[in-house]
Amino acid sequence: MKASSRKNFGVTPAAAMLAGAILSAFIATPAAAQTKPGFEDPNNWPEYHRTGNAWRFSPLTQINKDNVKKLKVAWIHQPGNITHGLQATPIEIDGVLYYVSANNNVWAVDAASGKTLWNYAPKLAPIVGQVFYGAASRGVTVGRGKVFLGTLDGRFVAIDQKTGKEVWSTQLTDPKTQYGALFSAPPQLAGNILFGGTTGGDQPIAGKIYAVNADTGKAAWTFDVIKNDPKSWPGGSGKVGGGSAWMPGTYDAKSDTIYIGTSNAAPDYYNYDRKGDNLYTASLLALDPKTGKVKWHRQEVPHDSWDYDSAYEALVVQKDGKDVIVHLNKGGFVFVMDKKDGKLENVWQFAEHMNWVKGIDPKTGALIDPVYPEIDKTKTFCPNLLGARSWNHGAYNPGTGLWYSHAMEVCNEVVAGKDDPDNLKAVSALSLGIESIKLVSPPNDKPYGRLDARDPITGKRKWTIRYDMPPLSSVLTTAGGLVITGDMEGHVFAYDADDGKQLWTFSAGSGLRGGPISYSVNGKQYIVVPTGLGSHAPGFLSGAYPQIKDLPGGAALIAFTLE
Amino acid sequence: MTANRFRNRVCASLCAILLTCGAGMTCVAAAGPSDAGDEEAHVPAPATFDLTDPARIAVGRRRFDKICAAYCHGKEGVGGRAPDFKGRKDLPDEDAYKTIFYGRRNADVMPPWGEAFTSDQIWELVAYIKFLGTQ
Repeated sequence: MKASSRKNFGVTPAAAMLAGAILSAFIATPAAAQTKPGFEDPNNWPEYHRTGNAWRFSPLTQINKDNVKKLKVAWIHQPGNITHGLQATPIEIDGVLYYVSANNNVWAVDAASGKTLWNYAPKLAPIVGQVFYGAASRGVTVGRGKVFLGTLDGRFVAIDQKTGKEVWSTQLTDPKTQYGALFSAPPQLAGNILFGGTTGGDQPIAGKIYAVNADTGKAAWTFDVIKNDPKSWPGGSGKVGGGSAWMPGTYDAKSDTIYIGTSNAAPDYYNYDRKGDNLYTASLLALDPKTGKVKWHRQEVPHDSWDYDSAYEALVVQKDGKDVIVHLNKGGFVFVMDKKDGKLENVWQFAEHMNWVKGIDPKTGALIDPVYPEIDKTKTFCPNLLGARSWNHGAYNPGTGLWYSHAMEVCNEVVAGKDDPDNLKAVSALSLGIESIKLVSPPNDKPYGRLDARDPITGKRKWTIRYDMPPLSSVLTTAGGLVITGDMEGHVFAYDADDGKQLWTFSAGSGLRGGPISYSVNGKQYIVVPTGLGSHAPGFLSGAYPQIKDLPGGAALIAFTLE
Repeated sequence: MTANRFRNRVCASLCAILLTCGAGMTCVAAAGPSDAGDEEAHVPAPATFDLTDPARIAVGRRRFDKICAAYCHGKEGVGGRAPDFKGRKDLPDEDAYKTIFYGRRNADVMPPWGEAFTSDQIWELVAYIKFLGTQ
């Protein structure tokens, strides 16, 4: 991979000094004394995004921009099965690291030595051999003395945190009738409620979000992503309308609210039989964790016809003294909205190549002159169906005030078409609503990827790094002034959070698709990077990047430290 | 391919899977052809048509474009993590059929399509893949 260029965008000395001063204050202050948002429980990585505000920010400073070039491998943990690589974001609590590898293998590992403490391998129903989204999982959740897993055969499972023994298992989906609907993301905790959605946004199902009592596994509520509203879903089209919530939601304890995004509507590109806004697809939902009722919703892509899921993380930052949610969708726009009611504060364009609308009204959220797919016509849409970014999460650093997120600039040529019922018989069948699709370069440009450092409220870019191939790793940022990520070829990078200067690199041998984390054990800071290229995304992208064919798979969790 | 040869091949795949499952590593029962059930029942029925029949190739192309190419193999079989089909001449008909029928799991996942399509529907896909090999 060649990171072909790095650009800075008008950083004023005053702003740099201010950011530096803030950063210095953080570094000088013992992390444990901090109580500001993002600084809770500084030595651990206790949940998927570390904190409920989805920052993926570690307050630790022992590893910093001055010494990061001295990083050494502390240990490597290999789960042994490389199918679909390592996609998890590990969890680390009080010296024990928890993660999941292929086929729902859960591991507890000594976070200082890499020694296996226990391994839980569920007995999975044979139908998992037929599903489209096979083998992979994005993580586990730890809390209430348990490790929680969403399985490939549609269950939530609780495992004893100390022993690795199963505590309870609850079957939630019927994979046979729901096209293998499975939990590819870790279910999340909201108090004593454990909740999560399934795969299926591209399949002829009606997506649901499931919730159980975290201590007993007893079902609590189910939320129908497909709203029971004939105006929204004429002619019963909602029964096959997709609308899964396939990424982890977040829980805001302050307002006792679950925030979770939903997928595209199905059939993806053939919209003729679902002429309505298709609620609650392509939406951000605010749910009451006790009842599963909607507190508010914001649909970002009404009548989605481009596979533009809005399932990504709900980043929470402050604007004018109030909490706002910053929410990127696959269509390439970032919605900024009031956390308490979803009222729009701004909408800004993240994708550079974007042609499915002329724009989005930042006051109302209305799509301006959308261009829809049609039968018998080849149309080029940017971004492609993987999105302006894949699901690999961004990170926010309160020291710089910047949001760091990867981007991909790849388009697709699509001819819409009605699904052939013969093609919908398999458990793995997808309901794309196409005659054909091809991933292509953007008009008058090469395909490429980026790492952007932006103001999350305005979208103003401070710096950017351009890559030949779009990285698929989530991003980590730290109070040590670092941004950590990696590419599809297996290069791990540490960049200066202020200006994007590359400070360190390491060749892992296989690409990054999971979430790097940082924690401290016995006074020593570690950075742990999941490596092993996986998921279907690299395969889809190889239409635009033939060299992806030759990239090796793998699965290795690599821990770095200074000594 | 005879049923016997096919059995041996399935056994070889199963053995390979077992060999990779060492101590400390757990393998689920959903790792490939060995899980597709009784292999005797899945010996490919011969195609009932000529694999070079342009009409069947056209049907196969449409099915390929609507499903296989969409996500995994790329338009005209160029793309994806599998070897390109375009220009490829070393793919025996029955191997192509069985891969579609059973799917495949290594570093990547190809789901099985054997329970979704009739034998002739799979052969139509094979006919199109063979046609791509001539391009």
